Amino acid sequence: MSRLSAEDLERISLDTSIPVPEELSGKVQAAVRKPRRWMLPAGIAAAVAVLVSVGLTLSWNPEPQDTFDDPYLAYAEVEKVFAKISGTLAYGAEKVSESEQTLDKLSYWK
Amino acid sequence: MKQLYILVAMLLLGISASAQDGRSLYNKYSDYQNVEAVYISPAMFRLIGKIPDVEMEGESVNFGPIIKSLSGLYVLSIKEAGIADELARDVNTFIKKGQYELLMEAKDNGEATRMYTVGDDYFVNSFVMISRQGNEVNFICLDGTIPREQLENMVADAVKED
Repeated sequence: MSRLSAEDLERISLDTSIPVPEELSGKVQAAVRKPRRWMLPAGIAAAVAVLVSVGLTLSWNPEPQDTFDDPYLAYAEVEKVFAKISGTLAYGAEKVSESEQTLDKLSYWK
Repeated sequence: MKQLYILVAMLLLGISASAQDGRSLYNKYSDYQNVEAVYISPAMFRLIGKIPDVEMEGESVNFGPIIKSLSGLYVLSIKEAGIADELARDVNTFIKKGQYELLMEAKDNGEATRMYTVGDDYFVNSFVMISRQGNEVNFICLDGTIPREQLENMVADAVKED
């Protein structure tokens, strides 16, 4: 069979005088269809596995390493942060108080 | 096939939700050059909680009770325009996705500061402060179970101190 050229194979296939066994087409179809039964679930499983691994990689969010080993230094840093926060909050509260005083004065002169 | 689409949608939603929080921002920016970063873990906060009240020099406000209610602190300070812009954008996204409420906005001498909180009527679960002056952006994120009353007391003490 491997020694035949493409032209020879085409000529043989067109030759209707050569009998084709009746069960051959059934056998060929069965051989082609069989793998498709497991291909769909396997494909879905593979797609899910890829998505899960991509998801895990993207959402991987490890705990960072502590900046300080000494709790006293950490305490000092936290106090520094809080001083900044409370300073800004105090500034805001002060501005609100000033605005209230201005509004009071305005309402007095009305 | 429908189930697969639902699974994929849920997975993508999960990824986008988990990609933005104080920790992920810290992990993203702390290794950049010219970035000052500080992280204090829940374990370190437990150790801090065991320290007897320390009087810090020049500070008359007692932060002890509020510090004991914290479980994480993330600080990022960036002075490089490109990275600072990126951080500001990421913080905005994180604020919107985390349903934070604007607590206060202050502008003083070119410095714009915004504070946000998320929690309920009694407790603040996360506090975010972002300030910007020129090319410099400072980001502070506090996680924990902070009683709102203590936060208000801290403000009241700070106002008295002024």
